Amino acid sequence: MSLCAAFVLLPVLANGDEIPRFTFAQLVDSIRANSEVTQTIKSYNGKEVEIQGFIIPAGPPDLSFFLLSRVSALGNYCCEVPVGQDETVYVFAAKGVKILYDPLRIYRIRGVFEAGMRADAAYGPSLFRVHNARVEEAVGAKMFKIGESPVPASKP
Amino acid sequence: MTILTVALKYLQGRMVASTLTAVSIALGVSLVIASVLLARGIKEGFTEGTTDYSLVVGAKGSPMQLVLSVVFRMDVATPNILYTTYRDLQEDPRVDVAVPMALGDAYQGIRYVATNSTYFAAFPWRRKTFSLSVGRFFRDDPPNTPTYEALLGAEAAIRTGLRIGDRFYEGEEMAEYPLTVVGILRPTRSADDRAIFFSLSSFWGMNEVARKMEVKPLTAVLIRPKRMSDVPSLHRELNVSPETQAVLPSGVLLTIFNVMALAEEALTMILTIVGIVVLLYVFVSMYSATMERKREIATMRALGARRAIVLSIVLLESCALAVVGGIAGLLGGHAVAYLGASLLVARGGLVANPFLFGVLQPVVLGSVILLGTLAGLLPAVLAYRTEVAENLAPLS
Repeated sequence: MSLCAAFVLLPVLANGDEIPRFTFAQLVDSIRANSEVTQTIKSYNGKEVEIQGFIIPAGPPDLSFFLLSRVSALGNYCCEVPVGQDETVYVFAAKGVKILYDPLRIYRIRGVFEAGMRADAAYGPSLFRVHNARVEEAVGAKMFKIGESPVPASKP
Repeated sequence: MTILTVALKYLQGRMVASTLTAVSIALGVSLVIASVLLARGIKEGFTEGTTDYSLVVGAKGSPMQLVLSVVFRMDVATPNILYTTYRDLQEDPRVDVAVPMALGDAYQGIRYVATNSTYFAAFPWRRKTFSLSVGRFFRDDPPNTPTYEALLGAEAAIRTGLRIGDRFYEGEEMAEYPLTVVGILRPTRSADDRAIFFSLSSFWGMNEVARKMEVKPLTAVLIRPKRMSDVPSLHRELNVSPETQAVLPSGVLLTIFNVMALAEEALTMILTIVGIVVLLYVFVSMYSATMERKREIATMRALGARRAIVLSIVLLESCALAVVGGIAGLLGGHAVAYLGASLLVARGGLVANPFLFGVLQPVVLGSVILLGTLAGLLPAVLAYRTEVAENLAPLS
């Protein structure tokens, strides 16, 4: 059972390359009591990961810092509102983010992952962070059919 | 006599045509430099002049109008919200700092901004700092005892000529409630330089409608949450409410930048066409000059000048024209950008730096010299291939 849970928490390899991809569901599943996160997710600290989500430009307009969220900042009538740190990732972008910002578009973030509670002087405490991130539109993100899981089946 | 001297003498010999060619290059370069500097300056002006607060809360309406009026003072103020909105946000455990703001009216075109001392406070997350050039900040006076003390932004003080102790008002309706200057701020390179600040109490006291209201009005509240991860929930809650909207200032600016990017693409196309026209002009000028002096070139060749020297002379001529036009264009472009930036400050309130130096200037100058020289290549080859016997034949 615990082996199955470990597989569920394993990130998908993004687009067949070596960069693991996290989903927001995996991030939420990794949270434990007292704002702790699992060792499994912490094992990715310092490694390059990919996360896809909506950009919430809560920082400066050069997007040197922004929030990556499961839901759009403009979706007032859609989806449950993200509460607290569970479903937002603090993204510290590499210099010179050049994208056409669209609040209704999903972006692919790749950068150095960091999990665990930490307070930033400017932006406050957070559970999940991506540093030195590169940002691009998530063109052609995989579509899943009903009943299909985004997590690859475990090999025997 | 060196090759360069010969080339310059040739240019001097047809001064009018050479000057016109250099001027056309200069105009093209000026257009490129001014356009790029102004577009970049406007973007940086918005970025530097924006607020450090994460959310701007105001009445339902246009998010762009809310941000442009409250942060950049470039649009008319949005309708009012109630002071209780500010109180509720102040007591919200997710909110670190809430700043009430009321806008409306102006003195000699300089906007009145009513707020409290928190607006000028320094916080660890704040990039912008306010310091006094002279005098003091206005008092946070109680609601029913306004002091009508005014604090001027640096440029507001220069433009109005007001000094400490001066009393002023605009419009006979305000004659009963003159404001007294108590302080002047140092420049902040933002829209705050062109504002007249005073207390909310003074604002309500000056306004006949607000005086009668039990719950006082506000234009907006600036919000900084304790944790950035609370921005989405605050944003959603305030937008779902029927009275208010919450706007991410950076989101609005990024939308403006998207529109600017479209304009920049169109401008790039226009500038490319201008560049091609200028290059064609240089080519035509050099070509006609070469055709006109085929006899001279033949004479030079007859006197022992090698083909390579003739080629070099023509190439140096077009290179010299490109250098002169390019440098004049750089200077002209900065001058036009300076004028444009001054107009932006005067009319739009946006601070754009027209003297941004980077890779742009050397790249443009280098490209102009290279392309200008290349434009002279075909005429130079024609000169190179000039036959002595054919061109020194008697004219009649």
